[in-house]
Amino acid sequence: MHDRLTQSMRASHLLALLFVLAALGLAAMGAATGDTFYLRLGTEALIFAGLALSVDLLLGYSGALSLGQALYFGIGAYVSALTLMKLPSFWLAMAAAFLATLIASIIGGLIANRVRGVYFALITFGLAQVMAKVVYNTRELGASDGMIGIPVIEIGFGPFSVSAGSPVGFFLIVLAVIMGLYALTAYLLDTPFGRVLTALKANEKRVPFLGYSVWRARMAAYVLAGVIAGLSGALYPMLRGFVSPELMFFATSGNAVISVVLGGVGTLIGAIYGSVLLVILKSIIGSWTEHHLIVIGLLFMLCVMFLPRGLVGVVRPAIETWLSRRRPAPVAAADPADLPAIIAETARTSR
Amino acid sequence: MKPVLDIRDLGISFGGLKAVDQVSFQAQRHRITTVIGPNGAGKSTLFNLISGALKPHRGQVLIDGVDMTGAAPERTKAAGLSRSFQITSLFPELTVAENLRLAAQVLEPTGRAFLPVGRSTQALARTGQMLERFQLAHKRDDLAGNLSHGDQRRLEIAVCLASEPKILLLDEPTQGMSHGDTAQTARLVRSLTDDVTILLIEHDIGLVMDLSDHVVVMHQGRKLAEGPPDLVRADPAVQAAYFGHA
Repeated sequence: MHDRLTQSMRASHLLALLFVLAALGLAAMGAATGDTFYLRLGTEALIFAGLALSVDLLLGYSGALSLGQALYFGIGAYVSALTLMKLPSFWLAMAAAFLATLIASIIGGLIANRVRGVYFALITFGLAQVMAKVVYNTRELGASDGMIGIPVIEIGFGPFSVSAGSPVGFFLIVLAVIMGLYALTAYLLDTPFGRVLTALKANEKRVPFLGYSVWRARMAAYVLAGVIAGLSGALYPMLRGFVSPELMFFATSGNAVISVVLGGVGTLIGAIYGSVLLVILKSIIGSWTEHHLIVIGLLFMLCVMFLPRGLVGVVRPAIETWLSRRRPAPVAAADPADLPAIIAETARTSR
Repeated sequence: MKPVLDIRDLGISFGGLKAVDQVSFQAQRHRITTVIGPNGAGKSTLFNLISGALKPHRGQVLIDGVDMTGAAPERTKAAGLSRSFQITSLFPELTVAENLRLAAQVLEPTGRAFLPVGRSTQALARTGQMLERFQLAHKRDDLAGNLSHGDQRRLEIAVCLASEPKILLLDEPTQGMSHGDTAQTARLVRSLTDDVTILLIEHDIGLVMDLSDHVVVMHQGRKLAEGPPDLVRADPAVQAAYFGHA
């Protein structure tokens, strides 16, 4: 089947593969040199990449700008922290964060999906700010200081185990989780279910007349994005050993949106590249000047003006073309019903 | 035989204006029923009431004998009603094939909703059929937004038909088309009655007379007359209201 959206997703997969290879290479270098700082920074970038991924699912596919995605990231982080302090189990913390963000995003979705466009952005922003303030003022959750003293856990896989305290070990685990979330999202977007989400962005008004409930599709996208953000957030306390209300603040949500725009809206893998890029920029520029946010802001504006499709958005079409040239196979595998189309296509291209 | 679409005493008002008022008619299976009337007669509002885009204040809409009054568009769609729009409403950033596949996706068993789209054999086969029937096969990978106006109007009908509906509501399918395109579209619409019942809004009177089995004339929200094309055309009231000269 010769399908443009599938083809685009394949191009993203190729970039994802490159990303993983580069990450593995750097991890090996880090391990060989006994580095801690950069591996931990890289791990943090990956965790925030998960948040950016969830923003791109909404913004780039179902067409809804969430300015409060940090809400679910923060809920995931806090629930994970609370669970770890009771019982230091990776799997239990992930399961608890999953359940908590599932419920939270259903409630949030019921509120936010009553409106669309700018109002949706404002409602998601408001929800996150309200929750952040609640956490900020709740002494049981550490209030403005957050919670510290989250134990360093051993992450068990059957007979093997990795310590979250091992920079390279935990980096690899986070890489696996985030790429797993990427793969799951990419898979879902290439199914009939996911294509309805894509249709929402393309022309929401037409969708109900094709027989699909807009509300259900929007809810599905919102809850899926919430859970992805929550699972990413759950990794945060394992890395840093603390959580703070700042994880839910607008700066966190805003950074995720910036990452997506830098990387390329609606490319999925762009969110991950963008997030890593943002962390690198921040730490490089931050080492020159303490006003690094001004520079980041300017770069963001330049990117919106001159590179509106983002880094991956610029590179990806070329990869798509290369993939389709490399792969004339769809013709042979096509449905017999498509034959006239194929003949016409061949006639056109061979001219 | 039971009518596929049964409209009973349908009405809606906006403020004080009765946009559609006491309209009743039936659409018979495999026939073309055309709604005509001057601008502002309430034709498109009538389509919105039938397809679920608007909820009627009074009256009933029966699809295949089932009461679907005020049901949401996705439910009237599930009941077998598909509609096009006066102003083309496609997915401009998606390809021609994807526009059709998306519409045909309802034919797949629900279990396939979470399998890759390449496995949606029924939807893909239907997409292939539609591409061929509507002579869009050579444009399957073009973005719908890049098609010519005529091709977009044709694709719009194809999208409506891709889900194998029982009833097709076509709102001015030849709107803005060239003379040649109009004739071609008329032939196409006629050929569709083998599969579906058609309810049409059309302005081109020549086309209406040619194509319709049954004509419903609307004027200021009300039904003025209905019947076979010749009889309706000869009706003095219709001539006064619509054709403007007796």
